[in-house]
Amino acid sequence: MTETDPELLGKAYDSRLMRRLWGVTRPHRRLVLFSMLLFPAVAALELLQPWLTKIAIDRYILTGDWPGLSRIAAAYLACLLVLYGLRVAISYLTQVAGQQVMHDLRAALFAHLQRQGAAFFDRSPVGRLMTRVLSDVEAINELFASGAMAVVGDVLTLGGIVVLMLVLNWELAMVTFALVPVLAAGAAYFRLKARESYRGVRTRLARLNGFLQESLQGMAVIQLVARERREAELFAGLNGDLRRAQFRSTFFDSMLYAGVEGMGSAVVALLLWYGGGQVLTGALTFGGLVAFLEYTGRFFLPIRDLGAKYTVMQAATVSAERVFGLLDAEPGIISPAGGAVAGLPGAAAVEFRNVWFAYEGEDWVLRDCSFMVAGGERVALVGPTGEGKSTIVRLMTRAYDVSRGQVLVGGRDVREWDLGALRRQVGVVPQEVFLFTGTVEDNLRVGAGAAAQNEEIERALRTSRADRVVASLPNGLRQEIRERGHNLSQGQRQLLAIARALLYNPSVLALDEATSSVDPESEALIRAGLEELLRGRTSVVIAHRLSTIQTADRIFVLHRGQVRESGRHAELLAQGGLYSRLYELQFGGIGP
Amino acid sequence: MSPARRVLGYLRPYTARYGAGVGCLALATGFSLGIPWQVKEAIDGLRGGGGALAFHAGVIAVLAALHAVARLASRFTMLGAGQWVEHDVRHDLYAHLETLSPAFYLTHRTGDLMSRAANDVQALRALAGFGAVMLASTTFTFAGTLAAMWAIDPRLTLWALAPSPLLVLLARRFNHQVAVESTAVQEQLGALSARVQENLTGMPVVRAYTMEAREIDAFGRLNGDYLARSLRLARTQAAFSPMMGLISGLGGLIVLWVGGMGVLDGRLTLGAFVAFTAYLAHLAWPTIALGWTLGNLKRGLAAMTRIAEILDTPGHVDEPTEERQEAHTVATGWGSTGAIPETVAADGESTGAINQDRGPRHGAPNPQPPLLNGPIEFRRLSFGYDGRGRALDDVSFTVPEGATVVVVGPTGSGKSTLGALLSRLYEPPPGTVFIGGRDVRELPRERLRRSMGYVPQEAFLFSRSISDNVALGDETAPEARLRASAETAGLGSEIERFPEGWATVVGERGLTLSGGQRQRVALARSLVPEPAILVLDDVFSAVDAGKEAEILRSLRAAVAGRTTLVMTHRLRVAQEADRIVVLDEGRVVEQGTHAALLASGGLYARLWRIQQIEQELADD
Ligand SMILES: Nc1ncnc2c1ncn2[C@@H]1O[C@H](COP(=O)(O)OP(=O)(O)OP(=O)(O)O)[C@@H](O)[C@H]1O
Ligand SMILES: Nc1ncnc2c1ncn2[C@@H]1O[C@H](COP(=O)(O)OP(=O)(O)O)[C@@H](O)[C@H]1O
Ligand SMILES: [Mg+2]
Ligand SMILES: [Mg+2]
Repeated sequence: MTETDPELLGKAYDSRLMRRLWGVTRPHRRLVLFSMLLFPAVAALELLQPWLTKIAIDRYILTGDWPGLSRIAAAYLACLLVLYGLRVAISYLTQVAGQQVMHDLRAALFAHLQRQGAAFFDRSPVGRLMTRVLSDVEAINELFASGAMAVVGDVLTLGGIVVLMLVLNWELAMVTFALVPVLAAGAAYFRLKARESYRGVRTRLARLNGFLQESLQGMAVIQLVARERREAELFAGLNGDLRRAQFRSTFFDSMLYAGVEGMGSAVVALLLWYGGGQVLTGALTFGGLVAFLEYTGRFFLPIRDLGAKYTVMQAATVSAERVFGLLDAEPGIISPAGGAVAGLPGAAAVEFRNVWFAYEGEDWVLRDCSFMVAGGERVALVGPTGEGKSTIVRLMTRAYDVSRGQVLVGGRDVREWDLGALRRQVGVVPQEVFLFTGTVEDNLRVGAGAAAQNEEIERALRTSRADRVVASLPNGLRQEIRERGHNLSQGQRQLLAIARALLYNPSVLALDEATSSVDPESEALIRAGLEELLRGRTSVVIAHRLSTIQTADRIFVLHRGQVRESGRHAELLAQGGLYSRLYELQFGGIGP
Repeated sequence: MSPARRVLGYLRPYTARYGAGVGCLALATGFSLGIPWQVKEAIDGLRGGGGALAFHAGVIAVLAALHAVARLASRFTMLGAGQWVEHDVRHDLYAHLETLSPAFYLTHRTGDLMSRAANDVQALRALAGFGAVMLASTTFTFAGTLAAMWAIDPRLTLWALAPSPLLVLLARRFNHQVAVESTAVQEQLGALSARVQENLTGMPVVRAYTMEAREIDAFGRLNGDYLARSLRLARTQAAFSPMMGLISGLGGLIVLWVGGMGVLDGRLTLGAFVAFTAYLAHLAWPTIALGWTLGNLKRGLAAMTRIAEILDTPGHVDEPTEERQEAHTVATGWGSTGAIPETVAADGESTGAINQDRGPRHGAPNPQPPLLNGPIEFRRLSFGYDGRGRALDDVSFTVPEGATVVVVGPTGSGKSTLGALLSRLYEPPPGTVFIGGRDVRELPRERLRRSMGYVPQEAFLFSRSISDNVALGDETAPEARLRASAETAGLGSEIERFPEGWATVVGERGLTLSGGQRQRVALARSLVPEPAILVLDDVFSAVDAGKEAEILRSLRAAVAGRTTLVMTHRLRVAQEADRIVVLDEGRVVEQGTHAALLASGGLYARLWRIQQIEQELADD
């Protein structure tokens, strides 16, 4: 699984994105605004300290006024305490704002993902979606924790220092600023490089994590084909790539950092040399020189931090872009406003009218496919593998939309149905059994919720023959199921999936090879049990074992994307068409 | 092993780098401490009316340049080393994960493992890289600055340090609390990650059962809990981090006051006072960052603990010695099938499209020990999974060399467990499972598994191209062999019809293929290395009757002479076997040929009759 979306690392500041982020903060606006108000106060107090030192030197220390010195010291103390209070408040408020926004974004992303159609998940690897919901959202938080908001403070501080320096002594101030263009040019260059290399790190990290995730899920396969060494080599390749990219990124980051710091010291030298001269001529006081020296230190610190924050902001911007990109992905399949919540009266019929469908482009799986399952009818769908049987079931619940034609359930186009109501109407046991971690009971109640009575559970278990499975588990219904149900046999998982569907109690039931890994005896018993249950319901059963199929009211034979034959078992055999050939193949070799 | 020892173990290979880095940091600190000293000299010179201003300025410029170079060098070496450490930990983690059995993956959710491999490894890098820089730099700065301050005025230094004990106390408390709270946050992040992962992988079910609203609720609860834990951590950090600034500010205040009086009294020169203030400013940043540095240390160690939990789970490691002896003692032990690789190599000279897009080919493979063949024997095998009853109970039967044995039995009777034990995915008890007369537990896993084409019941494909998936077991297999295997598995022309043929990349877990297609790709995969032993677990369940018959026909030709164990529910497959073993609730209830079992009228006969009756009913 490779990250295919362009990992473009754009500007650190993008007004459109920022406006959107600002929108996200709406519920916590007061927090954000309030903490933003505190930044100027902090900046001012920070600038006040060297000024106090200057006054202390010039007015009191050099004049020998010790009560004055004590007063200044008291002012200094007050300044420190207020500063502490403000910092606590800022730190807490920004974190609260950031965490709240992250919480909201995660919730929004998760809810949005729940609305996406199946086609979306075909295109989006789980690993990547997880990166969006978890890491990208976390990166956005940096805007709050150390990025955008603190930048406000930094910029204010810088501005204040510039003003103070100019006020103190404009000539000396100009000396200090002399090196700024050099600094700016250097910083711009390294920042550009740092940005590129940062993009490299992100891409490689995504690739590595995708690989790792798949390895974790397919480890048994890797071990079974004794491929550990080769996979480890592939992993080592990705790992090494990542390390090199990181080092490149560090290189540029460090250059930027050390450059700014070195520059700061160089300015001290300039100041001493030039400012010292001024002190000698009396154009500058000692305190002024000292304050200048201190301000220079504080001048370069925010510049240096701005560099680091710039990187952080870039990362956050990229993440915000992706998060919003995902939130903007229109769910291809949405419930129409005021969609139908019930079909026409009577048992729901299912009809395909001239349906064309392709998963991708023009690779048609269904071509002009038409058939009708009457209300209450039991239909079996047969056909070679890969012909589109499962696809038909997926279209019935509108997991995908058809390209052309119509699918009708209960006499209404599925696109007119309220999605939830449609899916409550049509229950599916998908071919791929998926159980959630949690107890057996949790899994059974997945569809029915807490409302299901214990007797109903019992009945569903009995009908699906899953009662024996539950009985064989040490903790019965309370048994913990592991990831994907891997602590059950495949057949047992299928039986539980059937029980789950029965408990869901839909009026149209589609079983997609639901008993493919179940033994013939259980299968026969399930069939008998279903007999009762399916009375008055519409059902579509897909199976390869003809024994499962024969009792259907009608059999549909799917071939080349169309239902080519339909009828009862005997009729179809008599026709001597596709079905009879299929049947011949399965039972031909067996003499009674 | 304590996490700290463990981290040190990872640092050890880079001792030289760290040494150099620390040396550079020491130099950098020295250079940067020289600057205020020069300022002091210059100011005192000014007070004296003149002095060598230009000289001091020049020295400062030189010191600044040296400082920048030394600092750069220290960052390159130490941050670089930190990245190496991250690299190594990740490498070891992956290598170890590869040795862990399915039982481990059963109890550790993918989402949580991912969270450890991504977030915790990163926390470790923060410790080994930037954390190490900060630690060393803080130490040097404190030591150097204190020395310089002491040299200027010992009494004032003591005064300036007065708030420090408070600092130490606070740091300790803070540290502990942050560690506890950040562990809580990390744990919740793992849970959140596992939840998202499961929801996304189970999306078809979520959709089918309209579970969206409930999933959103459940996620909302975890998300809310995560928020609460994060805020708790935020509160601690908000209260404590600025405290460091306050304390260093108090030091400044004391110096201003006490030092100012010193200047008044004439005990201190103005230059010394300024330098002292500058030194104190030097301490401010490390003091403020101290909280971060210590927190980082704690986080890193906590991360190491979480990673160590994985690393300390005993994995399978094969003793290489036995492997080597094998190669010498066992001669060409795999009989007739031994010729297969050569014959294929002969017609595999074409390096077609398939091989090319399979990435770099690796040079000559290590001389591999000969593959195994011979009878498979289960001898009084009993086995139960953790916390469960017996899945297999006193099972004994043999698959003679070159024969085909079919295992049938109700759902959950233990058929797949046989395959899992035979391939040592789960470890069988000693003396119960034998191949070629040798206990599988004594065979190196790699050799055992290479000798065996095992198709598990659940077909798992990687989201790579079809050709990569088929060639998974033997990347060097010539294209012709891949095609032949696909042909045998009944995939033949179907692959060509995929959008990009063999190069079509399948979805995660192979989910963009139909169930039957997936099963057949997995079957083809097991045939490519041409193993002498085949174990096929219910591989036709999603395949239609026509395809099944076709595959069986070609497979029969392909498996001629191979020892084959088949688990199935389709009795038609069983009918053709040399021998049938019937399992029920983990016990062998019958075994024999089709005819014999029908005659004995047991479970098999009953199952057979069920299928027969249905057919007859249908035939009427
Ligand atoms: N990893 C596991 N952990 C715990 N119990 C397990 C695990 N795998 C299987 N079991 C249990 O062991 C028993 C035998 O399982 P096994 O998978 O061997 O059955 P099977 O005969 O292959 O069934 P099927 O026909 O359904 O594939 C079952 O009761 C099952 O629930
Ligand atoms: N999600 C998907 N994306 C792309 N192709 C798919 C997807 N699911 C199935 N296909 C392809 O569509 C065809 C029909 O698949 P399916 O309906 O699952 O067949 P089956 O009749 O075996 O149930 C197959 O060729 C399969 O490879
Ligand atoms: Mg299917
Ligand atoms: Mg099984």
